[in-house]
Amino acid sequence: MESLSRISSLLETARDLTLEASASLPSRRPIKPLPPVQIKKLLDSRSERDVLDGLRRVIAMQYAQPPQPTLTFFPAVLKTLSNPYPSTRPLVYNYLIHHAELDPDTALLSINTVQKSLSDQNPRVRAMALKTMAGIRVPVISQIVSLAIKKGVSDLSPLVRKAAALACVKCVRLDETTRPQVEEYLAVLLGDKQYYVAGAAVQAFVEVCGTDGKLEMIHPCYRRLCRMVVDMDEWGQLAWLRLGTVYARRCFPRRTKRTKRVQTREQQAKDFYEDLEPREEEEQETEYDEQEVMDQDLTLFLTSIQPLLQSRNSAVILAVTKAYLYLSPATYLQHAIGPLIALLRSPQDIQQVALHNIVQVCLVHPQHFVPYQRHFLLKSTEPSDIRGLKLEILTLIFPFCSKEIQNLVLAELEHFSRSPDPSLVRESVRAIGRCAQSPNIATSRRCMTLLLNQIHSSDHNLVGEAMEVIRHLIQRTPNEHRKTVVRLAKNLDHLTSPTARASIVWLVGEFAGLDIGEGVAADVLRILLKGYVGEEEGVRAQIMLLAAKVYLGWLNSRKNTNGNDGAVDGGNADTGLISSGTNDDGEDRGFREERAVSEIEKPQPIELLWQHTLLLARYTPSYHLRDRARLYRALLSTPSSTELASLLLLAPKPVPQAPSPSEARRDYLLGSTSLIVGEGLRSVDSLPDWIEEGKEPDSGVRDEGEVRQEYGGKVEGAKEVSAGQRLDEVLATKKGKTLDAWLNDEEESEDESGSEDATSEEGTEGSSDEESEYESESDDDEQAGLVR
Amino acid sequence: MSAIEALYILDEHNKPTLEHVYTGHPPSASTLLPLYLAHPSPRSSLIYLPSTNPPTLLFSVLQDRLLFFSPCSVDTDPLFVLEFIHRVADALEEFLGSPLLASKIENSYDVVAQVLAEMCDGGSINTTEANVLRDVVETSTWMGKLLGGVGLPSSSPALNASSSAFALQKPSLPPTTLASGTAIPWRRSNVRHTSNELYVDIVETLSVTLAPSGRPLSAFANGSIAFTCKVSGVPELLLTLTTPSGRTGVERSMQLPVFHPCVRLARWREQPGTLSFVPPDGRFVLAGYEVDLLGDQPLTTSNKSKVPNLNLPATVSVQTGLGSYGADFEVRLNISTRFVGNSSGLSSSAMSSLSNNLNRPSASRAASGDAKTPVVENLVVSIPIPPTVRNISDLRPSKGEAHWDPGDGALEWRLAAKEVASVGSAGAVLRCTVVGPAGDEDVEDAAAAGMTNLRVDTYDYDESGAYQSSTPDTNTVTNGKIEKDVGRVKQNAVLMPTSATVSFSVKGWLPSGIKVDSLNLDIRKSKGLGEGVRPYKGVKYLTVSRGGVEARC
Repeated sequence: MESLSRISSLLETARDLTLEASASLPSRRPIKPLPPVQIKKLLDSRSERDVLDGLRRVIAMQYAQPPQPTLTFFPAVLKTLSNPYPSTRPLVYNYLIHHAELDPDTALLSINTVQKSLSDQNPRVRAMALKTMAGIRVPVISQIVSLAIKKGVSDLSPLVRKAAALACVKCVRLDETTRPQVEEYLAVLLGDKQYYVAGAAVQAFVEVCGTDGKLEMIHPCYRRLCRMVVDMDEWGQLAWLRLGTVYARRCFPRRTKRTKRVQTREQQAKDFYEDLEPREEEEQETEYDEQEVMDQDLTLFLTSIQPLLQSRNSAVILAVTKAYLYLSPATYLQHAIGPLIALLRSPQDIQQVALHNIVQVCLVHPQHFVPYQRHFLLKSTEPSDIRGLKLEILTLIFPFCSKEIQNLVLAELEHFSRSPDPSLVRESVRAIGRCAQSPNIATSRRCMTLLLNQIHSSDHNLVGEAMEVIRHLIQRTPNEHRKTVVRLAKNLDHLTSPTARASIVWLVGEFAGLDIGEGVAADVLRILLKGYVGEEEGVRAQIMLLAAKVYLGWLNSRKNTNGNDGAVDGGNADTGLISSGTNDDGEDRGFREERAVSEIEKPQPIELLWQHTLLLARYTPSYHLRDRARLYRALLSTPSSTELASLLLLAPKPVPQAPSPSEARRDYLLGSTSLIVGEGLRSVDSLPDWIEEGKEPDSGVRDEGEVRQEYGGKVEGAKEVSAGQRLDEVLATKKGKTLDAWLNDEEESEDESGSEDATSEEGTEGSSDEESEYESESDDDEQAGLVR
Repeated sequence: MSAIEALYILDEHNKPTLEHVYTGHPPSASTLLPLYLAHPSPRSSLIYLPSTNPPTLLFSVLQDRLLFFSPCSVDTDPLFVLEFIHRVADALEEFLGSPLLASKIENSYDVVAQVLAEMCDGGSINTTEANVLRDVVETSTWMGKLLGGVGLPSSSPALNASSSAFALQKPSLPPTTLASGTAIPWRRSNVRHTSNELYVDIVETLSVTLAPSGRPLSAFANGSIAFTCKVSGVPELLLTLTTPSGRTGVERSMQLPVFHPCVRLARWREQPGTLSFVPPDGRFVLAGYEVDLLGDQPLTTSNKSKVPNLNLPATVSVQTGLGSYGADFEVRLNISTRFVGNSSGLSSSAMSSLSNNLNRPSASRAASGDAKTPVVENLVVSIPIPPTVRNISDLRPSKGEAHWDPGDGALEWRLAAKEVASVGSAGAVLRCTVVGPAGDEDVEDAAAAGMTNLRVDTYDYDESGAYQSSTPDTNTVTNGKIEKDVGRVKQNAVLMPTSATVSFSVKGWLPSGIKVDSLNLDIRKSKGLGEGVRPYKGVKYLTVSRGGVEARC
């Protein structure tokens, strides 16, 4: 969902003007700064207004950039705590949290006052005091904080209980030894009937124990949390989704049921006749579909989070998707695709992250995204990383699309391959290349044609990129593309892009070894050598390589024919050997001997070409090329022993793989930062494997929550309704009253609910004892399971 | 784990304005800024900075020219942090007024500090509903000053500024109401307004891609329903939407909706188009949706005859490679006659009051439909020009003003409201001549002469072709002049723009045709609303295209 300020910026035209005006203004100091002495005087004043003014100034100094020293006011600020004014308190607390670490001794002076506020009448004051106390980063007070939390956990007001939940995190961070106590508190809070207290408790639990924390704390409230998740606030929902996903992996083994696949009539007919013959086991394997058999509790979790897909919070939607992807892609994932696509409407920062995650899902389940192809068409105004991701999605869904959509995608790619942005050209040409890898021959031919057309562009960059991709494609299936290579070779007359030329020359060289290309390769070499001087270094290197390959091919074929001749007529073989022996002229011997050899035997044109190439290379300015030439010369110096050269030059090249760019990120978790950054970062979140069958905790452990609910009495049952329903109830009972009447009413009802709270509190405390008993039991169960 | 470690705000000059550390000791804004700026623009919202110690993940959001930073040292859910930053921006806007400016933040550090501390508690996100924060945050700035100045006993209670007029009578809040305020987690307690008003703003943002032939490839309208509620007590509202094809069309046209937590999802599922909710106080976004303007019709090349009519207010088409050297291009802007009216009636059409004719929905529809024609405003055509273009020697718009700055890469063509009105059915035309890079004309001519042989329009991929069979035309070098021209055309093709986008806004019209059918305040279910109060209701429709209509060529 668009954020409010973005919507208002659309609605308000004056806004842009204000922004521009503010940008031109130098940022100014708002309030006249006062000397510290005067500020102290303000703080010491009795008038609330002065104290407030003084505190504001101190806070402003603390936040000002660069910050001004405010530590000197510490005693004066703390003294104001003794004032009864509620307005100053938040500011003092803020100051206290900020400065406590710098001056712990002074901070300790305030503890007593803060502690007193913990039993204030107003729940907001209590909550704030608890929050502040936990926020003071002085390890000495950890036990006091722990006690304060304990008190807060049993507070009547949910506000305070929520504050207590969040304080647990800070308490453990302050002093690790408080962990056992804090876990106890959390266990109570997790069972809270107020959905936002429970949400905060889940948040705190994830923070304190991690997602792989103590499962036995979750068991009793699992089902209840599943039902409450819809009403929690977004951050509680997020924490529960994270926790629930891991919980499911650790508690519900992946069971599959093999069901016989529904057979088509043909198969049935076939089977009918095949019945007579014994069938192979393997065949039978394919007859069955693996179907997930889900635990009821897992289904509960998965269905309970489905309404969250209409949340306005993009993180929640992604977390639900994550749960579906890793828990049950077959049944539920399709529900999450639409909402995931809807994230593309968000502001650009969120859009980019969303796209990364869409790619991640798309790598595994591309078919789900086919109906949404139009959402991935590129816009010329988008930044390059978003365009790259969209291109990737288009290519991923390409094989699953109908022909019309494939045409659309190809047209899209072609359009952007003509863009002036070189990186976009590269991306789109490579995307065409990936499309061409489709198993459908007609499609890959169309892509190939498209690429071949690009070669005629006058944009060097495009030609180079296209050629690179064509080369890869040809290498994948060399036999189908012999003619293409010939065609490409013809283009050498006109092409100017050096990378493209180098690619073609290399391809021709590769095909020189194949029988059909031989004449062409030699001919191409002949033509290229004429223009050798005008070529760039990369192309020269390829020409040299081509020459070496052609020469080698020629040597090999001559050897073969000689060998064959030898088989027929033994005498010739010797002469062949001798002649080739005489041909063996190292570079030291130089030209004279070469000439001598050529006098003996009429030199072959290919041999001459080779010599010419070596000469050209010897006088090339580049060291690199000269070195190479020397290497080739040494390799091919003995025409009779071409084995080593063949090994080196005619080695079968590995087929180049052009995986989707995000394939490298496949292992990263959906929704993690590593996925976006592309590097494995230090992460606390990890997804465990499915627990093995038989090792999971007994499903009975989760029942306890139910038992406990009954235990808690009817009060809890009544509280199980959603926020909306509760509201309805309240509204229904109080219709048509004046405000005052309603307010009075409210107070009464509040009292009632307070007493309710009290009773239920007892209930929960009682049940927490109960729970510990059960915990030990479940432990026993687990051990028993292990023994078994 | 998933903690927000700190939040920094930098002003439009990238000067740190605010630093608030929640937990740990993350690197300061001044340390992060140069590392952030070292990344090439446009910068990603998540940047990994391995050079800091410990390695930091920097989340950044740019909003209203303010730069929000949040550093993080462990792998978190990126959307979690980004959403939080957006919420902070929204909350600050609620407290400091819209738009958010650096100077406003500097003027009220005390409020900002409280808001930030309340939204995130030691790294765990706490309360992000801006409306509820009003209950907690102490903002009595001007009231305090006012009271102090007049000499009244100043006892500013923990109430917000807007309702502090009532605060005078109630010096301290009764704890009961405070506790009850949490019954609705998104609405602050004790809302009182003297004038009761409800406004619905439906905004749709166009995102349309047109093929060179003018056929739409994709056409979406991203809609948001912004709601402003200024009603005392706890109102219970029912908003019903409709489309030209009736109420049933709502489900079909409003796709992939997302809702504010206050909306009862069950009601929507039962009856799409019905939003039943208890709103937060003030302004908020009620729902977001998207409309596929092409409908469900498949993209086929066969039904070329039946080009779907999108009824866009303004479209554009580009023709490139014109002139004898192919150095010209022409942009044609067409404005639908439905949206050209007198520029005088703008303000009146913007707001069509629903208060009178809400009970007669047909009348309200008619009123906003034909009585005042919606008018295209703020029309800008933007044409990205390739960076290789050295100059555009000739800019000839038939209407409006065109401007190109070699630095920013795009040609802008603006039409004022008056000029829009005078654009006829033929449309307005902008013709430009581009000049390519200097110095290489001769070289390119030579190269181009050889290149013409290659102009094979259909390179049929065919395996049966043989090397020698197709004879290369060696006799092409016949007419040097034509050769050269064709070469120039070829060369200039690289300098041609590949697309053009139109931006505009239209008030009083939505591409999806979605309309507010009725907005009812359920008096029986609401509470705290005074007797006989009938709030004023207003509806506004707005269509915006921010470079959203894109034509390719």
